[in-house]
Amino acid sequence: MQTAQSVVISCAGIGSRLGLGTTKALLEIEGRSLIAWQLDFFRDVEDVRVVVGYQANEVIKEVLKFRSDVIFIYNHSYFETKTGASFYLGSRHANDLVIEYDGDLLVHPDDVRLCLETKGEYIAYSEKMSDDAVFVVVDGQGQVVGFSTQQGDFEWTGPACIDRRKVRYTSGNVYNQLESFLPMPGLKIRACDIDTFEDYERAIQFVRSWKL
Amino acid sequence: MVKFIFDLDGTVTAQETLPLIADFFGVQDEIKELTRETIAGNVPFVESFIRRVHILGKLPVDEVAELLGKVTLYQKVVDFIHAHAEDCIIATGNLDCWVTHLAERVSSRFYCSGGRIENNRITKLTSILKKEKVVSYYKNMGATTVFIGDGNNDIEAMRQADVSIATGMTHWPAPGVLSIADYLVFSEEALCRQLNQLLSVAQA
Repeated sequence: MQTAQSVVISCAGIGSRLGLGTTKALLEIEGRSLIAWQLDFFRDVEDVRVVVGYQANEVIKEVLKFRSDVIFIYNHSYFETKTGASFYLGSRHANDLVIEYDGDLLVHPDDVRLCLETKGEYIAYSEKMSDDAVFVVVDGQGQVVGFSTQQGDFEWTGPACIDRRKVRYTSGNVYNQLESFLPMPGLKIRACDIDTFEDYERAIQFVRSWKL
Repeated sequence: MVKFIFDLDGTVTAQETLPLIADFFGVQDEIKELTRETIAGNVPFVESFIRRVHILGKLPVDEVAELLGKVTLYQKVVDFIHAHAEDCIIATGNLDCWVTHLAERVSSRFYCSGGRIENNRITKLTSILKKEKVVSYYKNMGATTVFIGDGNNDIEAMRQADVSIATGMTHWPAPGVLSIADYLVFSEEALCRQLNQLLSVAQA
């Protein structure tokens, strides 16, 4: 399945809340690194772009074990910025539609396919799973109408698909970028992001439940 | 207007040309250590280049040019250059007299270093290209500049370019390149995809 979208995987962060001293892309889950899982999800996407920062060389070498045609993007300011900056850098010279995918995110493989097959823009969300969630507020038509750190209907996990031309630089988070474009179509998926060690343990159980 | 400025060795050619010359003429032992230390960043590029030309300049210029005329190229990159010849430029520290046949194959504007030739030998280096000056020239013309390279002598040009793409197609890029690059690619497919995307963003 060739897609016209670009996929931007943001792997620049330090992963400080996790406390393992390694960037999350290199975390091992069921015998393979997190970035290896993600590259497998997107194996049929031509334009995969990986944003690197902390431990860049290690992440690059890990990616190159699986495919050599990835475009790497440097976020040299990874210490001072968050995922919004990485997404901006990753999308600014990409295809018109860009899927933003956090490097700490695992999505059920069936739902990855759903994301890739969904036409146009969307914001994906899941049932609350992680300890440190940002919530989305959804209206009766399933559209995402707000984000909240306090309460909401579902957990904001990403991915999101958005027109590249709308993406502006921010040192903040991706959801801060998306707020100005709400309402946007929502897409409910099964997903798990990894911010804390407890999230990491949950992610391992999540993968085991896939019955691949 | 976007101008794509390419390093030559290892970016458009699939082989580093100075070691190729050394191997062909059997002077590789004299140059191997120097090349390794240069790529590692332990010998400044200009010093290394002067020393290498001092060794290789004793070789017949016409035979060197003929050899480099046959060097393996990254064909997809060359195809991109051919398709956008007006907007593609090669900036190489290599000597103009050595790359004459190679330049005919690439069909692009070449900026090179220069040497004085006497009796088919290089007797003196007359100029060493500073690639950042090529970038400045096109920026001053109002162009958006994209520099593509992999070596220590590309760093300043990449720093000044509007967009810099490091390539690891022939060898792992110099660490200094990676400390300032916007993009990094390891294949012709990825490089050409990024170049085409830059074009379409500029034309939108």
